[in-house]
Amino acid sequence: MAILDIEGRTLAAELVQLFGLGVEHVLDDAAFNDLALRVFAYQFQHNQPYAAYARLRGRTPGEIAHWSQIPVVPTAAFKEVALVSGDAAAAEAVFRTSGTTRGTERRGEHYLPDLALYHASLLPNFAAHLLPDGAELPILSLLPPASEMPDSSLAHMIEVVIDRLGAPGSGSYATVERGIDEAALGAALRGYEEAGTPVCLLGTSFAFVHWTDALRERGERFQLAPGSRLMDTGGFKGRSREVDADELRATYGELLGIPENFLVNEYGMAEMCSQFYDNVLRDNVLRDQVALHGKIEEPDREVAQRDQVNEFDQEVALRDLPQGEPASSRPRPRQKVAPPWVRTVVVDPETLEAMPPGELGILRHYDLANLGSVIGVQTEDLGRAVEGGFLLLGRAAGAPPRGCSIATDLLLEAVAGHPQ
Amino acid sequence: MNPTGHPIDAYHIPGLDDADVLHWDIREYDDGAVRLRIPVLAPATLERLLQRLREARRHYLATTPVLELTRAIDQAAALFMEPDHPVRALAEAALPAVTGYSPAMIRLVLDRMAADWREPALHALLEAELGDPRVLDSFQEWPAGRSVGSAAGGSTGSSTGGDTVPHDERGRGAAAPVRVRAFGPELAFHIFAGNVPGVAVTSLIRSLLVKAATLGKTASGEPLLPALFAQILAQISPALGECLAVTYWPGGDQPLEEVALRAADAVIVYGGGEAVAAIRSRLPVGTRLIEHGPRLSLAVVAREELTTLAARRVAAEVARAAAVFDQQGCVSPHVVYLERGGEVAPEHFAELVAEEMRRVEAELPRGRLTTAEAATIQQVRGAAEFRAIAGREVRVLASAGTEYTVIYDAEPGFTASCLNRVLRITPLDDLSDLVRHLEPYGAFLQTVGLAAPAARRALLADALGRVGVSRITTLSAMPWPPPAWHHDGQEPLRELLRWVDLEG
Repeated sequence: MAILDIEGRTLAAELVQLFGLGVEHVLDDAAFNDLALRVFAYQFQHNQPYAAYARLRGRTPGEIAHWSQIPVVPTAAFKEVALVSGDAAAAEAVFRTSGTTRGTERRGEHYLPDLALYHASLLPNFAAHLLPDGAELPILSLLPPASEMPDSSLAHMIEVVIDRLGAPGSGSYATVERGIDEAALGAALRGYEEAGTPVCLLGTSFAFVHWTDALRERGERFQLAPGSRLMDTGGFKGRSREVDADELRATYGELLGIPENFLVNEYGMAEMCSQFYDNVLRDNVLRDQVALHGKIEEPDREVAQRDQVNEFDQEVALRDLPQGEPASSRPRPRQKVAPPWVRTVVVDPETLEAMPPGELGILRHYDLANLGSVIGVQTEDLGRAVEGGFLLLGRAAGAPPRGCSIATDLLLEAVAGHPQ
Repeated sequence: MNPTGHPIDAYHIPGLDDADVLHWDIREYDDGAVRLRIPVLAPATLERLLQRLREARRHYLATTPVLELTRAIDQAAALFMEPDHPVRALAEAALPAVTGYSPAMIRLVLDRMAADWREPALHALLEAELGDPRVLDSFQEWPAGRSVGSAAGGSTGSSTGGDTVPHDERGRGAAAPVRVRAFGPELAFHIFAGNVPGVAVTSLIRSLLVKAATLGKTASGEPLLPALFAQILAQISPALGECLAVTYWPGGDQPLEEVALRAADAVIVYGGGEAVAAIRSRLPVGTRLIEHGPRLSLAVVAREELTTLAARRVAAEVARAAAVFDQQGCVSPHVVYLERGGEVAPEHFAELVAEEMRRVEAELPRGRLTTAEAATIQQVRGAAEFRAIAGREVRVLASAGTEYTVIYDAEPGFTASCLNRVLRITPLDDLSDLVRHLEPYGAFLQTVGLAAPAARRALLADALGRVGVSRITTLSAMPWPPPAWHHDGQEPLRELLRWVDLEG
């Protein structure tokens, strides 16, 4: 807890304990509100740029009563100023936005005073959505290890997941220098396939596109053991051909033998400590358990806070499933779900007011795990609110401008190539 | 527009039979308020129709005097300027939904663009580039009839040694008279981009003037106006209409594009760097390629123009230049550079521009934005606010919604705008510093709207030209280049031509 003061450390400890209760522990609006206002008040005291922004907006802690009034910081602001509650130089980690392939754009910087909070949010949420059956699997990553990508929140995330949740044999199958080690990955998967051992594959969507394109070219395919699963994440940003999510999932089914319900898309960003996942695998496992046992068995897993994992509570775990019908009969559609310590609001990009459910808008997140930076983040990502979650409908950054003008990144590329 | 009615035909394809249409691509805009219909063709069908286009050219275009062509084009253009004509009404009703521009903007753009398609403008273009337009019809004396002032100074000059050589010059051993004739490509293929209405029509007209059978592939952002123009032109002159085809297919449709790229003698491509590069890489050897890649523009105001008296007018001109085409034109300014030391401080001038932006919004409302575009504007504003919080001299002067955004940033630097009326205003100690800021972007620069006293204007124009700027004009003329302009530093007619010299 490098740079948080005593008040911050107390609040962080409280949050770590709360996250340890897992995603099935409901945080009602009052409880979330209480914590959110305390987190904001702390940030207002310790994060000078954020405090200045709040004053500019007339949204200081004394002036607001509900978390939805907390000022949100546009993700672009992370490129302009260090948004950290405390001394940036003393931060335990800095995650940077990836920018575009062209590489000259200024990158956003997210300072994390304290990685414990990040890990406390990451692990139960990941486990709930990728390993809801309590499986202990070899976790194979298509991303280079974090040591090679110190700026990448995703690389860090995967490393922690492998370290804490992976079975022996887990590891990274890529390097920055040479990309995916297809031979080693193929050999490892072939071994697991023959042994009938299910695996968990993790990587960016564009890495999967590169790899599956190569598999297809070689006429190679796998029939991974039942229970195998895959998490992909992120847009393409010109790093591979653009592939529609449905098409990509069909490819995973065809070339890897992983069924639809075991394909989980993750949505995260450098500016946030918590992540979002597709509901499908978790819903599927819960549904099967209800069908099989008439109740849900939460895995007794050792995650961030082993002793804090709360008692299984069927009422609570069912809260997100459609009401009034047996849970097994009507699966809810694929959507992104947040852990209880995150709230997402879809806002109108013109007015920045909340949109009615179902309408297209831009996503705004309030993340308690962001104690060390800013709780409220305004993204450029497009989505629609649905019952229990939201649909992610594209990430705005990188949309080409209309008209006959020129995209900023092309311009930056030109400058990068200019001898000066 | 009646949503249940027949969709508008957004194509003109001479010789198209019902049997040729694999199926109809129906494109809906504004929740179906406007529907366009475009035929989906097999590559073999396109090949046959292009052959037909070529033959129609041989029969008609190749043998018809250019001034007869300008007359037909003029008549079509006139109808687009007639407020009550059905085609004008249709364009006015449908284009806002199709392009996203406001109805007021569409009316303005139609008026201004169509004026460039009238006979006087066409003659001015022909004369500026060719001297004597009849070189397109038959051999003409060269360079007789070309006044030095109108010489375009191209690289395709005659064998007598260039445009500036007087006709009666002696002593070069070339006493024999030379006559020349210019031939356009037999088939020109235009690939359009963007959503600014009229740009595509202008390009098609240039191609017809040099007597090329012409195929226009419209952009998804504006597939309608070029098709309407072609339909009207075909009504006025059926023979000319036989030589022109306009349709849409999704960009990158390889089989169709291969057919068109193979068939064409010249390809004129508009659009982003990658799209242009992709076409270039697929072009058969020997096919002429004319590129209109992405370009951007800026405005510059000298301290002498920043007087208490003039500042308001200058601010209004800046605001209007940024507002026309919702800043999406290549002629639209992204950044305004202000020279320090005038009566009105740069920061105050930024406030005036913001006020004028609000005024323009009332008269010429900005169009609809996509969710992503509006989101980007919010990000740009937020980032600027945080630059100010971080202690930089930055101010955000903006509407409550996303209608307009003026960002005053004391740190002079060039940044491309996210468009849709997001204008950056930045001071310079002296205009001579400008070139240094622009140099890295030279390949992408097009228009500079310059407000400065004549002497400084000439000096700066020279420097700007060296950097890569291809047009220097007044602030108020920025959006409306004259018909005979050197579009992106090129000569739109001459670059399509092949010259034949007849000596002795």
